Amino acid sequence: MRVPIRMIGIATTFFWIFLIAFLVTAVYSTKDVAFNFGEPQMNTNASGEIVFSLPISVANRGFYDIGAFAIMTEVFDNHDASIVRGSTLVPVIKKNDEVTVVHNMTFDMNDLLQRSENFLFNDSELKIYAAVGMRIAEVIPVEASSNFSMPWGAPLYNFTLGDPAYAPYNLTHWRATVPLSFENHAFFDLIGNVQIQMYNDAGTLVGEGQTSVEAYANSSYSGFIELYVSIVEVTSSGWFEVYFSTSIFNYGPLVISYG
Amino acid sequence: MRNFFFKALKATAKAIIFYVVYLFLWNILAPISQLVPGFQQMVETFVVVYITLMIIGDLASGTIFQYFFNVAKVLFVMGYLIISSGGGIFGITFENINLMVDLRFFFAIAMLLSLLGLGKSVLQAVNYMNEKAEYGRS
Repeated sequence: MRVPIRMIGIATTFFWIFLIAFLVTAVYSTKDVAFNFGEPQMNTNASGEIVFSLPISVANRGFYDIGAFAIMTEVFDNHDASIVRGSTLVPVIKKNDEVTVVHNMTFDMNDLLQRSENFLFNDSELKIYAAVGMRIAEVIPVEASSNFSMPWGAPLYNFTLGDPAYAPYNLTHWRATVPLSFENHAFFDLIGNVQIQMYNDAGTLVGEGQTSVEAYANSSYSGFIELYVSIVEVTSSGWFEVYFSTSIFNYGPLVISYG
Repeated sequence: MRNFFFKALKATAKAIIFYVVYLFLWNILAPISQLVPGFQQMVETFVVVYITLMIIGDLASGTIFQYFFNVAKVLFVMGYLIISSGGGIFGITFENINLMVDLRFFFAIAMLLSLLGLGKSVLQAVNYMNEKAEYGRS
């Protein structure tokens, strides 16, 4: 019985040494794995969606391959409702290899506006959950996660329409000039059209007009819209219905009263 | 007395070798202790108790108590793995970053090896009693 017992002992010792050596070298080799996060970029694609891109470079100089390298990000609004989620997976990063991946998150501004029009007119904070996971030596799952917030700049911050100024146009119509101003706090340029419809206090459409706007990111815009209104129908008070049509989003009507 | 001296010498040599191996491995794992609070204390406690049981087991060699201490050593390793690991998933928070390391696979293998060691110690104890009974009869 001594020989089998000795063999069990030898086998157990061998496996212990192998297990501990593997674990220690796997943990030790993580110090030779370098992560480089590039400059995050926000762009719009051909279909008008906003694309958030984060280039990440992983240099694996450790002893073992890295398996299932995954990046997951999720953006929440201030009510903790998920807005967009993105994930990027690299199945294997071989040892002594360097891999560069671009983590993309695409979201449609129109979907965002369906949740709340506040994103258009008020600055707010977006909550971001980010997680990076991998399998060290392809067998030890490791995950690092973090929550942080990112400011959201409203593209039509402080949007205001002034009172219309009237000038005679012909015997039946006046030319009304409506001042228009806002601040584009967003990271993207706002290029498109603003259309307004003017209603009198009886709810009758008295005129409509439109103008093109071009407001660069983090800049103020002020201009005016001209429209021709019927002299007999115009009243001292009423409301405007404003429609926005841009390359990023379409929104309307926004109702603003005048007078 | 001379027999006990050799046992003590053997136990001391084994303990020193074990401690040197621990110091070597600790140099590699030292950066973890900066990230995981209490990691060094956890490992040191394990090493102290393990070496103590190892020395006592060696001093008691040639008696049935050697196998008792061997079983105690294996049970200690298993118990320590279960209690200290919290199921094999380690989670730490560093500033705003949560780090999670899943060592369940390793702990499962370690538990299986410990069970193998436990079985070996029980077999050694049975063999010891068997041989003792045979020598006693002859």
